[in-house]
Amino acid sequence: MNYFIDSLSAAIELIFSFDPDIYQIVFTSVLISITAAIIAASLAIPAGVTMALNNFHGKAFIQHLLNTLMAMPTVVIGLLLYGLFSRLGPLGHWGLLYTPTAIIIAEAILIFPIMMNLSITAVKSADPRLVPTLISLGARPTSLIINVIRTTRLAMLAAFVTGFGRAIGEVGAAMMLGGNIEGFTRTMTTAIALETSKGDFELGLALGLLLLIIAFALNFILSWLYSRND
Amino acid sequence: MTNAYQLTNIKLSYQRRLALDIPSLTIPTGKCIALLGENGAGKSTLLKLLAFTSRADKGEISLFGQSIQSSLNSIQRQKIGFVDQHPYLLPGTVEANIKLALKLQDIPVQEHQPLIQLALEQTKTSHLAQKQSNTLSGGELKRVAIARAIVYQPDILLLDEPFSHLDQHHMQLLEELILDFAKQKNKTVVFSSHDRLQGMAISDEIINLVAGQTTASPLLNVFHGTLSEHLFDTGKIQVHSTSTQTESHHIAIDPREIILSAQPLQSSMRNSFSGRLILIAEEEESVRLTVDCGESFHVIISPESLNNLNLSLGKTVCLSFKSTAVTVF
Repeated sequence: MNYFIDSLSAAIELIFSFDPDIYQIVFTSVLISITAAIIAASLAIPAGVTMALNNFHGKAFIQHLLNTLMAMPTVVIGLLLYGLFSRLGPLGHWGLLYTPTAIIIAEAILIFPIMMNLSITAVKSADPRLVPTLISLGARPTSLIINVIRTTRLAMLAAFVTGFGRAIGEVGAAMMLGGNIEGFTRTMTTAIALETSKGDFELGLALGLLLLIIAFALNFILSWLYSRND
Repeated sequence: MTNAYQLTNIKLSYQRRLALDIPSLTIPTGKCIALLGENGAGKSTLLKLLAFTSRADKGEISLFGQSIQSSLNSIQRQKIGFVDQHPYLLPGTVEANIKLALKLQDIPVQEHQPLIQLALEQTKTSHLAQKQSNTLSGGELKRVAIARAIVYQPDILLLDEPFSHLDQHHMQLLEELILDFAKQKNKTVVFSSHDRLQGMAISDEIINLVAGQTTASPLLNVFHGTLSEHLFDTGKIQVHSTSTQTESHHIAIDPREIILSAQPLQSSMRNSFSGRLILIAEEEESVRLTVDCGESFHVIISPESLNNLNLSLGKTVCLSFKSTAVTVF
């Protein structure tokens, strides 16, 4: 028990010592995850809204596919992209392996089905009169999608935050594609895995606490926005 | 003058049930038209077709002489204003909701403010402009929804059950609003109502809708059943008609064609029933009676006849009408 409490107090000390190495890792993590979340959201939210608003052949199949992809292990995505980006792979000449871009691509792919599914749910749970009202007022396909997103913006923000949370907590693909290079591709999760295996439990715990603080802050902001909207 | 709408061979099914079956229907320009029918008669479905927010399975709809095959173009879209039975206002202020309609209709920004002011004045909602949409009362919400529908100055205003769930004050305001809009040159109003009297009071013309079909008959004494050998069987009574349309499943009997008497009449009238008087209601210059003969019949008589027959609730009376008074559809 003493070991855990001593480590915890050391971790808190590390956080408040504002060690540049720790905050470099936090910054890299947040930057990669935010970029991945923005890219995924800019594709998944319009795609989800379009899918929810239209009926077409194969819709049920896409829905099943999305559900399957939501449960896909991150190492599988890491493995597939590793095959594509490695020197001998078809996209090897792009030189993306062991770069933040590779992690961003992996995380965007990972959270795309989550965000798209949540966007579909957001439209389905919106007032059923919303879409007929917008159509009767003259909305065309593009303005319809924009106004549906605008009206369901809080649910869409929740989809974004959920996707971001999934991305920042991801470790498998980040490790395989980023290579955990210090100051470049080292994220909070890969650093926690590495430092703990090296025996530096305090640093791992400090990063873990910061990860929890980020998750808490995001959820707090989201709840505040919800309560403001009510 | 070109008709506002021309509907031809419209068929629309909902959950495997034929919800609308209209061989032909013309809605003229510049009239205030009431769409009357019971709940489930297809009024809302027809209005949604007229608003082009839903599509028929079969048939053709022409808008001002132009057949609409797929979606409306921007000019056609601007001709129609539609207000749902339970209007939905987006989160935000009343003014933002009205402005949204102008944005969606691609009206130039410099025209927004004067048009919004005009719509607010026409609907007597200027004082609500900065109110949040979720704080409005039912009557205010309906008037704001109408303001949003007329802000881009459409030629046609479609209103689904505008008077439902409104108190007398808001109902009167809404009647005035509809009549003011209809008074303008070449403006067409189509509104649905299940209140026949109210519909007749403010409209120029009436469209009766029964089980998804338009009918020339008034909406009283409509019975469902089967027709065989000129005899229509409702399951409770049998009614003589002159029709041989075996595929028809409804009849309607004009309440003014029914003769009421204390004793059975000796006449050539093929249909004669006796029943108990269960309702006496005063209507403007006439009296409406409801007689339970197995099926409930509505009969309209004059106040003098009511006195002469010395009628009272629970009394047994006789009804007679000719088979030619029965419309089969």
